[in-house]
Amino acid sequence: MTKCAITTTINGRGYSLSIHPNQTLLELLRDELGLTGTKCGCEIGECGACTVLLDGEAVNACLVLAPQVDGREILTVEGLVKDGKLDPMQESFMDHDAVHCGFCTPGMLLSAKALLDTNPHPDEMEIRTAISGNLCRCTGYVQIVDAIKALTTEATKAAQISTDEE
Amino acid sequence: MRLFEYVPVLSVDEACAQLARYGQDASLLAGGTDLLIEWRRPIGKSIKVVVDISRIEDLSGIVSDDGIVSLKPLTTLSDLLKSPIIREFAPLLATAASSIGSPQIRNRGTVGGNIMNAATCADTVPPLIALGATVTLQSKRGARQLGLADLFLKPYHTRATPDEVLTDIRFPKPSARTRSAFIKLGRRNALSISRLSVAALLEQDNNGVIMNTCIVPGAALPTWQRVAEAETMLVGEKPSASLFAAAGKKVSEVMIAQTGRRWSTEYKEPVIAVLVRRALEQCMEQNVMQKGAEA
Repeated sequence: MTKCAITTTINGRGYSLSIHPNQTLLELLRDELGLTGTKCGCEIGECGACTVLLDGEAVNACLVLAPQVDGREILTVEGLVKDGKLDPMQESFMDHDAVHCGFCTPGMLLSAKALLDTNPHPDEMEIRTAISGNLCRCTGYVQIVDAIKALTTEATKAAQISTDEE
Repeated sequence: MRLFEYVPVLSVDEACAQLARYGQDASLLAGGTDLLIEWRRPIGKSIKVVVDISRIEDLSGIVSDDGIVSLKPLTTLSDLLKSPIIREFAPLLATAASSIGSPQIRNRGTVGGNIMNAATCADTVPPLIALGATVTLQSKRGARQLGLADLFLKPYHTRATPDEVLTDIRFPKPSARTRSAFIKLGRRNALSISRLSVAALLEQDNNGVIMNTCIVPGAALPTWQRVAEAETMLVGEKPSASLFAAAGKKVSEVMIAQTGRRWSTEYKEPVIAVLVRRALEQCMEQNVMQKGAEA
């Protein structure tokens, strides 16, 4: 089996890799690159624990063949931290107790980020649709939806107005 | 995962050349949402070569032109959902696309893959057949067109030969009077596989008489097809609750005639009848808002 040479950007860092083609992006991230923040759940695209952003779109890393990311950009949960500071979405999840066992959290964060990056003012239905491919076995969906809602443009505006009034 | 050589290609010609060379031993890869699961199963067909067609630019995009909508096979289900062309001319196809998988699956899964995988539960197929879609298959030997309903041989099998690649899916723009609906019954909302579905199109004349209709059930018949027996009951009549119920019952009878009585029939028999009735009712509830091509 011939290895393939790929170049890809993961969390802002460029990689030139020689990889076996018959592996998933999930295996590449976790087993070869040690990026274990992306979780391995069902491996059939049902649970969303392995959700990462591929060129800004949420995908199941277990359903992407590793060589298909050649020339493309990947964001995993490790890439949400900037200069040692957590992403506002991570802060919001903590503020709203949206993390129970934590296994679904990396995938939830990335599905939420993909939504707000393209639609900064989603309604509740749009939020629920955006995380419909992510299962939380602790069933903490209400807190997760609240955490995402708190970061929408409307919520930010409302917070701004109340601060101004004070 | 099974072992294979990986060959990315950038043009349809290159894809055809690889398929001509490897034939049965090759597998085309687009979004991979079905294939990657299949390739990890311990049993199944071995593959020597995976020909990755996902980067062929000519196979992407949705074009509206001269009474025709042309969908390229690498169009993702998310693209279908977002496309103003699809929303205008084939809202039932957008509804069907939105019912598939999850956002993650829809961002990867393609309409071409949904068709060529040929699972009886493929949700883009009933709407496309109702719309009268034709497909183009290309190989080194040339290109041929066939009606989408004629593409399927049996579940998971198409009439495409191992050296052919799907290059185009097209359908005529429905008339401005056409209203449509897609209804799917699954076990839950997200990530559900269709247990049964119905795509319906309905066109009335100025007096409200039904001029034209298409009814295509999904996951009900061995291969997808319009149910002409039910359609002819509707044409020339004015819509009514009893007429729609009778058409539903007819679809149910046709299903049983084709599949025989199976373990699931007791459930599917009444349910498909209701889904057909509801799909027709849903057509009637819509205003004729979609502009469509002029009739």
